[in-house]
Amino acid sequence: MKAYWRLTWAQLLLFARNKNTIIWSLFLPIFMMLALGTFLGEGGTNQFQMSVAVADEDQTPRSRAVFEELSNTEGLQVAETSRAQGLSRLKKGDAQILVVLKAGLGKQLETSGQKGKKEKPLVALYLDKSNPAVSQVGSTVIREAVDKLNKEAVDYRPLVKTEEIDIQSRPLGYIDFLVPGILSLMIMSSNLNGVAATIASWRERGILRRMQGTPLKSSTFIAGQITARVILNGLQAVAVLFVGYFVFGVHVYGSWLLLIMFILLGTLTFMSIGFIIASLSRTPESAAPIAGLISFPMIFVGGIFFPVRDLPGILQPLVKAIPIGYLTDALRKVMNEGATLIQLWVPAAVLGAWVVVAFTTAALTFRWDVR
Amino acid sequence: MIRVRNLVKSYGGTRVVDGVGFEVAEGEVFGLLGPNGAGKTTTMEMMEGLRKPDRGEVCLFGVDGIRKPAKLKEIIGIQLQSTALFDHLSTEESILLYGSFYKKMRPPAELLRSFDLEEKRRTLVKHLSGGQRQRLAIALAVVHDPRVIFLDEPTTGLDPKARRALWEIILHLKEEGRTLFLSTHYMEEAEQLCDRVAIMDSGRVIALDTPARLIRQLASDSVIEFAAERGVSDAHFRELEGVKEVKRTDGGWMLLLTDNLRGTLSGLIPLADREGLVLNGLRTRSATLEDVFLERTGKRLTEQ
Repeated sequence: MKAYWRLTWAQLLLFARNKNTIIWSLFLPIFMMLALGTFLGEGGTNQFQMSVAVADEDQTPRSRAVFEELSNTEGLQVAETSRAQGLSRLKKGDAQILVVLKAGLGKQLETSGQKGKKEKPLVALYLDKSNPAVSQVGSTVIREAVDKLNKEAVDYRPLVKTEEIDIQSRPLGYIDFLVPGILSLMIMSSNLNGVAATIASWRERGILRRMQGTPLKSSTFIAGQITARVILNGLQAVAVLFVGYFVFGVHVYGSWLLLIMFILLGTLTFMSIGFIIASLSRTPESAAPIAGLISFPMIFVGGIFFPVRDLPGILQPLVKAIPIGYLTDALRKVMNEGATLIQLWVPAAVLGAWVVVAFTTAALTFRWDVR
Repeated sequence: MIRVRNLVKSYGGTRVVDGVGFEVAEGEVFGLLGPNGAGKTTTMEMMEGLRKPDRGEVCLFGVDGIRKPAKLKEIIGIQLQSTALFDHLSTEESILLYGSFYKKMRPPAELLRSFDLEEKRRTLVKHLSGGQRQRLAIALAVVHDPRVIFLDEPTTGLDPKARRALWEIILHLKEEGRTLFLSTHYMEEAEQLCDRVAIMDSGRVIALDTPARLIRQLASDSVIEFAAERGVSDAHFRELEGVKEVKRTDGGWMLLLTDNLRGTLSGLIPLADREGLVLNGLRTRSATLEDVFLERTGKRLTEQ
């Protein structure tokens, strides 16, 4: 027990005294967030502005209501237009999204109570996918607006009404999308790359073998590493969320406990992978590049800067197998949507399985000395 | 008492350690002397429980080192190299960390004092000099008051002053009644520090005795060295008075081992005149463990 605390403390001292740790694990994520948030969030405002063209081909009180609803939605600049005009504006980039309210919308809403009637899609969304982040968020906002109308039409009474209202009142911006992504990226790079490089170099320099020459157990050593890194990641997360909140007004709508649980799952997963890389790489010089080679593509397929669904279909099976996408997704849903563990059981289960498999492999392949 | 029997270790079909065995008495300073690659480090690592031998026995003070490595590690202290330390921990933090791995621990202040590191208590390891690092490495080896201490080439890379300071420390550890087991490729170090020396070459122990007795067993007590020249046969030198052996080293030196230094020298100068030899770098010295190694293997420990 004494050894465990000493090792944890020693590792924390090493973190604090290593300039690289501070720069890479703290300043870089915050800088990235400030740069991207300011650039894409338009001058540092937390207001998400998007120009929406609406073509009302129905021209009934109901379709007018949809139009009003969109106009009143925060962050949307709504302009009325025809379908053809709207499409050309979308192509030119003057509008980011085109909503077409097809003829028959009003009628369908009137008769919605009747059973056995097939509902045709009467609202069409045209998206500019060259700006995926904006288009994704935009489409969510519009879906919500239409959904609200639907619910009113059928006189839908949600059981958890307060929550429903919360979602409506949340200003959704790219920064809200970005901050959980940055958190996820930070957890991955700090652990995967950090552990692989550190452990490989300790092994090369004989530091690990020196410890092997004492009664210290490898499980105690690994436990100390885990504890120190969980503390480091916790502090990093607090710093990122702090900046996110005070600079951009990004809230954590969900449970902090759940957020911490996912940070912990992510840390354990990527640490274990880092240990595996350190054990399998032949030289310490190769451990860091291998870790980089693994983590770099994950930035793109992990939904960190733009949504996973915008990736080519060929990559989708890969995305479903690796842990980063689940972590990003879970952090995002907890923070943005206030999702609960029940809603997030899939990412929780996948990450849990990754921890078990990766940790077991890491423990089995761990060696103190150079082969 | 330490007992090692018939240790064998192979890597990729090559026998790095090939049937090594010896006994070390309590309180003894025992040295493994040999060139790089002789198998010294592998032998020590098998004794320290860091590597499993393919065959053989290791017994330290009644503990079976191969079957009970955990028990073994409580009674031994090891020093590997000065690089096996955390650069960003201070001297005192390093002592506290390593001390926490053992059941018992000596007070850090006492260790800092006896290894002359009191002033460097808060200094990070990366800012220590080579000698200070090596003193810390040895302080960490004795942090739990072990009965046996293993030192692997403790003075390699140190300047002469730091080396002498470290010798003092090693002799002090011996005075405290500890058993010391050290490897070195400096014959002078082995002669100064060790009660007994095992000379290793190619994974085998080729000689084992006190340094004085090993040297005395040599047929000659002095050595004349000079840069070898072509065109003179060894037979000329063998005829000189007192010469017992003539050797040419890989480094291009001619060595005449003699039991009559004066007689050999007075014959060498006329011979050089007759044959037109320059005798570059001519020098004489007493026989050392180096010559014991040379006589047994035909090789030098370290090329000069």
